[in-house]
Amino acid sequence: MTAFAQTRRELVIGMAGIAALADLSPKAAAQMKARLVVVGGGFGGATAARFLKQLLPNASVTLVEPDTDYYACPFSNLVIAGLRELEAQRFGYDGLRARGIDIVHERATDVDPVAHTVTLGSGAMLSYDRLVLSPGVDFIWGAIEGYDEAAAQVMPHAWKAGAQTALLRRQLEAMKDGGLVVMSVPPAPFRCPPGPYERASLIAHYLKTRKPKSRLLILDAQDKFSKQPLFEEAWAHLYPGVIERLGADDFGRVIAVNPAVRTLATDFENVTADVANVIPPQKAGEIAHRAGVADMTGWCPIDPITFGSALQPDIHVLGDATIAAPMPKSAFSANLQAKLCATQIARVLAGLAPEPTVLANTCYSYLSDDAAVSIAGVYTNEGGKLKSVEGAGGLSPSGSDPVIQGNEALQAAAWFRTITEQTFG
Amino acid sequence: MQAVSAALGVVTLALLLAGCGSVPSWPDERSAAAIPALDHGATLSLACSGCHSPAGGAIPSLEHRPAALIRQSLMDYKAEADGTTVMHRMMHGYSEADIDAISTYLARSATP
Repeated sequence: MTAFAQTRRELVIGMAGIAALADLSPKAAAQMKARLVVVGGGFGGATAARFLKQLLPNASVTLVEPDTDYYACPFSNLVIAGLRELEAQRFGYDGLRARGIDIVHERATDVDPVAHTVTLGSGAMLSYDRLVLSPGVDFIWGAIEGYDEAAAQVMPHAWKAGAQTALLRRQLEAMKDGGLVVMSVPPAPFRCPPGPYERASLIAHYLKTRKPKSRLLILDAQDKFSKQPLFEEAWAHLYPGVIERLGADDFGRVIAVNPAVRTLATDFENVTADVANVIPPQKAGEIAHRAGVADMTGWCPIDPITFGSALQPDIHVLGDATIAAPMPKSAFSANLQAKLCATQIARVLAGLAPEPTVLANTCYSYLSDDAAVSIAGVYTNEGGKLKSVEGAGGLSPSGSDPVIQGNEALQAAAWFRTITEQTFG
Repeated sequence: MQAVSAALGVVTLALLLAGCGSVPSWPDERSAAAIPALDHGATLSLACSGCHSPAGGAIPSLEHRPAALIRQSLMDYKAEADGTTVMHRMMHGYSEADIDAISTYLARSATP
């Protein structure tokens, strides 16, 4: 702790002591505004800011997000496959600003949970009464030998949407027919469990329709994966001979890459790719580690009712950064967790106890341009942990019914429109 | 300035913890029933609004529907063991009491 911070903390404690002695009427107290700071402008953070302001109109709500444009990850696999434009993934923060939320386009570089301050990239500081962190994921560079930020310019991850999405699409477009595309999938947990397999389906769709002599190899650090029977059924049905997958038991885990020659190494072999998509192992976003809300797993333990950090007072954590299993790291989960967290903060500020509820999740995955499947889950949050409700949730039916899968593709599009409107609108 | 602003934060928090903080727009901040947006039905219904919006389309709008109609639809989803939609799979996990609370809330709230 710096001398300055130490001095400030003593001063704060001193002033709090004086305040405790002061005779402030409830009316005076009512004029004081709770200061709520949200870090991270994705599906968790932007939703939290919106609902905090909606439920607590007299509070000051500040959203800290370095980027002025947000590129949504859901549906970005359609962009990679040439079925959607990247522009359709771009959202801004004018809608939240118009609702009275202060938007600060800076990076949050540090949090002092004792002093209740957030430090920004410029050196400025924000004080908070309650802090909501929704930092998403960061990549563990170097966990795959040779895979760093420079390597990602040659072998894109495209696991944060935007320039990386466009890069992977351009590489596929530039590839000769007859080329080999290789995807590397990390061990769980990672953002969007079915995402790699949706991406494989849509890349296979691109290859089948545009470059039919080409193939896709999935080198997978997982043995089992989300929606596995539905994806495998679709690959056999829609893309026979296009996709090959090696799971962990088949030595599929990538341990090293060499971007200079586009090779990926497993324990068993070296594969040379024409296009390589390396999705690296992940952890909670950096600010979570700075704030002391991440544990040794690299992720953030939370109280499942309030999404309050299990490690630091007055800090809540949402979305992909949390340990919320069996709730997956999805946009739906982050958006719902944000709404619940805002509601529980409003209850506490109103003198009410936090209240358990029933939570849900839905994730759609496209199999092709006009077919999708889904997974759903229902969860309780009593007794200190999130638990799946038995007999509920699960996968779309197998059997590749074109009516059911066509309807789910239309529902997926409606879901995207609604959740982005609720988050950024 | 930093110190003063940080100090005010602690003062605010201390008052809130003491139960003195309030949000004047609410008629009675001590009663959950008086704060519709924070009651049990509202909280349960937060899971609906990520997919259902007034725009409707492939996922229907829930606006301007009577509670009895919403309740019957949700109970039908819950009862149909071989249903194929997301709603079937989800409603199997909600109790009749949950469905009552959701239906009541959605029917009285234009924008859940």
